[in-house]
Amino acid sequence: MNKFGNKFGNKFGIVAIGLGLIAAPVAAGNRLIVPGQPVAVAKSMLTVTPAVEWNKLGARPGRNSETWTFDGDALNDLTFYGGIEPERTLFREVSKRNKPLPRVKATMLVTDIPTLVENSYRIALDTPLFTVEGMEPMAFAGKPGIRFTYSFTRPNEDLPRKGEGRGAMIDGKLYLITFEAPRLHYFDAGVASFRQVADSAKL
Amino acid sequence: MRRGWGALAFAAALTMTATPLTAQEKTGNKPGFTLAPGTVTIVLMRPEIAVGAQSTGGAYEPNADWTDQARENLGKALAEAQGQLGNRVVTYVEPVGQGAAVAHEYRALFTALADSVQTYQFFPGNRLPTKKRDDSFLWSIGSEVASLPGVQGADYALFVTTEDHYGSTGRKLLQVFAAAAVGVGVSAGVHKGYAGLIDLKTGDLVWLNADLAMGGDVRTPEGAAKRVAQLLEGFPGKPVEAPVTSAATKTAAR
Repeated sequence: MNKFGNKFGNKFGIVAIGLGLIAAPVAAGNRLIVPGQPVAVAKSMLTVTPAVEWNKLGARPGRNSETWTFDGDALNDLTFYGGIEPERTLFREVSKRNKPLPRVKATMLVTDIPTLVENSYRIALDTPLFTVEGMEPMAFAGKPGIRFTYSFTRPNEDLPRKGEGRGAMIDGKLYLITFEAPRLHYFDAGVASFRQVADSAKL
Repeated sequence: MRRGWGALAFAAALTMTATPLTAQEKTGNKPGFTLAPGTVTIVLMRPEIAVGAQSTGGAYEPNADWTDQARENLGKALAEAQGQLGNRVVTYVEPVGQGAAVAHEYRALFTALADSVQTYQFFPGNRLPTKKRDDSFLWSIGSEVASLPGVQGADYALFVTTEDHYGSTGRKLLQVFAAAAVGVGVSAGVHKGYAGLIDLKTGDLVWLNADLAMGGDVRTPEGAAKRVAQLLEGFPGKPVEAPVTSAATKTAAR
């Protein structure tokens, strides 16, 4: 399971449920990320050097992404998107025919990144409760980039979450790192470690 | 008819072998945590209760009548049980206004925390590397909980969450069909129950019982009593009693 895993199975009927059950126990392989060593992330050339130890989840939200956490992705979720190519989506499609996810465009500006994240979350999480709170220019891996903050609540859960993202369009591909956690305790407890990881990003 | 029973037996066997929950741990204690009877005050938070049906496709459909029944039954069962937990247990008085919203948010945070413990600690194959070390049952909702209106004067808070999805007839038929025709185990129903004790000075989770396949139909008084007994099995500081279920529970902290 990943943070969007619960969306699968509801829409695709018998076959998807069966497949989901077969696949579920295999999605293990969580690994320790040791501090102080540069590590390539999200099957890309993007490297970061964390100052504290993290857990890397075996399950990925999409093809070129990976998630790190301290206590589980529902409590603190740091996700890397390592160069999402044009016409690709942030996450695996939930329902390509009925609810297609927005696609990365090579011509996107950095200010389009929060909108892409917002629209992707609204569809993947099936929630109307997503707000981009603010954005400002901030370099990403030495390139012109953006920092933005957001808040959202998943359906069937009364637990408001806060998020922060740092991203850039580099050679027509989207590079993005997000951190999100419940606004009670967990966001403030983890956001400094996320910012340190984002600051250390190199391409 | 014989074929029907054969299919049913096959389905049951498959479901039992397919379930990944067999190795699942169900109880965790913070290392070094003990509670002597008669020494502390525990505030019992309002339980989070949801009951509904599971459609053929597996989707959850809330049922307000069932949820009301469960709320009444579990409320009575908890009230009866709270005098037998070995320590003074007082019912949380819901604050008004913003305080009530914060209390609700803390209950949701406890549920998310227990979900995480369930997924990333109790299931050994999926345990997070940082949670694998000895004495690593370290989970918290944060020390800020001490400022929640209504908990001052108490030492611990007891949170309870239950969520039941009763399989519809279609879902149960699918379970049999999928097992017989496709050879796939499909679960019918979800019966999630969490009971956790939070240290109000630190926000740390000091004890948790968590099971995704709890017994007791919470829509009936008898079933609710059984569920509460299972939720509070092994409660710290509680006088020893006969086990509720025959299955031995394993402890996460070593």
